[in-house]
Amino acid sequence: MNRTDTVGSGRSFRVPGRLVPAVLGGFLLVYFAFPFLSFLSRTGTANVAARLSTPEAQAAIRNSLLTAPVSTAVATVFGVPLAYLLARASFVGKRLVEGIVVLPLVLPPVVGGAMLLTAVGRFTPVGRVAAAAGVPLTGSLLGVVLAQTFVAAPFVVITARAGFGSVDERLEQASRSLGYGPLATFWNVSLPLARGAILAGITLTFARAIGEFGATMMVAYNPRTIPTRIWIDFISGGIDTVVPLALALLAITLAVITAVQRFGRIPTVVDG
Amino acid sequence: MTNETGESRVRLAIDALSHRYGDELAVDDVSFGIEAGELVALVGPSGCGKTTVVQSIAGHVRPTAGRIALHGEDVTGVPPEDRGVSIVFQRSTLYPHMTVGENVAYGLDARGVAPARREALVSKHLELVALDDQREARPTELSGGQRRRAELARALAPSPDVLLLDEPLSALDRTLRIRLREEIARIQRETGVTTLFVTHDQEDAMALADRLVVMNEGRIVGRGRPRDLYESPPTPFVASFLGRANTFSATVLKSNPLTVRRGDETVEIRGVKADVSDDSTVTCHVHPEDLSVRPAESRATNPSIRGTVAHVADVGRRYDVTVRIGSGEDLVAEQVSSPPAVDDDVAVAFPGDRLHLFDRDEGRRVPLSAV
Repeated sequence: MNRTDTVGSGRSFRVPGRLVPAVLGGFLLVYFAFPFLSFLSRTGTANVAARLSTPEAQAAIRNSLLTAPVSTAVATVFGVPLAYLLARASFVGKRLVEGIVVLPLVLPPVVGGAMLLTAVGRFTPVGRVAAAAGVPLTGSLLGVVLAQTFVAAPFVVITARAGFGSVDERLEQASRSLGYGPLATFWNVSLPLARGAILAGITLTFARAIGEFGATMMVAYNPRTIPTRIWIDFISGGIDTVVPLALALLAITLAVITAVQRFGRIPTVVDG
Repeated sequence: MTNETGESRVRLAIDALSHRYGDELAVDDVSFGIEAGELVALVGPSGCGKTTVVQSIAGHVRPTAGRIALHGEDVTGVPPEDRGVSIVFQRSTLYPHMTVGENVAYGLDARGVAPARREALVSKHLELVALDDQREARPTELSGGQRRRAELARALAPSPDVLLLDEPLSALDRTLRIRLREEIARIQRETGVTTLFVTHDQEDAMALADRLVVMNEGRIVGRGRPRDLYESPPTPFVASFLGRANTFSATVLKSNPLTVRRGDETVEIRGVKADVSDDSTVTCHVHPEDLSVRPAESRATNPSIRGTVAHVADVGRRYDVTVRIGSGEDLVAEQVSSPPAVDDDVAVAFPGDRLHLFDRDEGRRVPLSAV
């Protein structure tokens, strides 16, 4: 039998290999970019500088700049060790722990906020004690931090875990055999080698935290952050009143991402 | 194993080591020792449990049972960082965020070596592996062979009591492997470091080691000097693993002179008697270089087995002639020149004293002696 007979057909029509994914991906890109551009095109109609200099806007920016870094720091300090454990250790109930980690991701933020209220709200035991001690856990900057951390922390845990997972365990074993204990090995080897992923996780967490609205609205409607302020402006003044603060939020987030990537020297596409 | 002062020379002792992963027994009652300055190779096929043994010695695996002693002191529960055991893995574990020099200095820093002494030790070990001009390079800039040597320098710099080499050559191509093998032999000679070399490659093991420990399916199946093990293998497995699988089964008709029967063929091995009872089933092994192929009808003094040439492979400096001697039984003969053609009827002959005989039921080597 002539072997070419069986595969001969279907050769006349050839689609360039990357055409299909490019077209499909292109649709999504246009869908992302179009609303973005149409929103930006409104900046001319709104008086950006004037609206950003109002006391309400200034307070919102200040509050966001105070809370989001704190939430990110809290998520990182507690989340990176957890990520390391999930990457390295196998233990009974690991599946459960993994489920708990992604719980805030799959919950609608507003529901997450409601849950937080049932845990630390003013009329719960914890909330009452804290309020009596002068540190109310709701309707305060601390409440904003609690809401942001709840919603945003999974990003740093999940991303850092993938980063630790891609570090060959033998590099850590070599460090142990060269005389370093587990903590020194984590500090000298695991952390620097997973740095790219951890920084990416921190960036995602920060972006998520500073933009957090749903849970924040439930736990701390006051004091206002940029997202809650945007909501109030929208309700009272319509779309154009929202543009200046939205741009401010975008600028802050972009600045932080750029700074982290520059400082952390993360390659743009894949981490090296 | 004791010197004149009564002090034991055994540097590392593994005693009744067993390890389970879940239900699977990966290492089963393994015991062996290494004397100071010795280079011992732990050999066996992939998955035989040798890596688990190494990981237990290094302290990265806590064995299910058994003891590991360094200088006669039980270290089974001691963490890796307090053992003084360096390890080089199959794949590079150089730290990409450090220079070659920093990598070599890494183990010295852990021991708080003073800066001046540290620099001197780094230079000394980089010179030892001929990488002194690569001190400031990043590991990614090095070639595969240079990376291996940098790892050796890093492992040796803190003067470990024992150096573990876990398949250090297996990821390299053949030329580089042989060169690095010689390099390892030289470095081991110069430093005198007690070394356990783990490999699945019998050639690397035989070329390097003072002694071999052969493992299969979690157990030790042979130990001794490489040449001794090769020339008088204790089991068919060791014979096949150190040489080549080259066996046929037969039934003993008579033990003096040894006469065996396979199928309708009777083979008398003149001048040799065997310590074996009549009618026992035996596995016979002959190394390929001891076999010669000749025309079927030729009369010869050496014992021979009839067969048909199934395959001839030209491997350059010799031919590997595969002769089918029965259903599913092949023998490979190495021949330097004029190989037979495929489908030729031939006789495979071997000198009687080059035969290795194993009792099938008892699994032991059958001693042969001259009549």
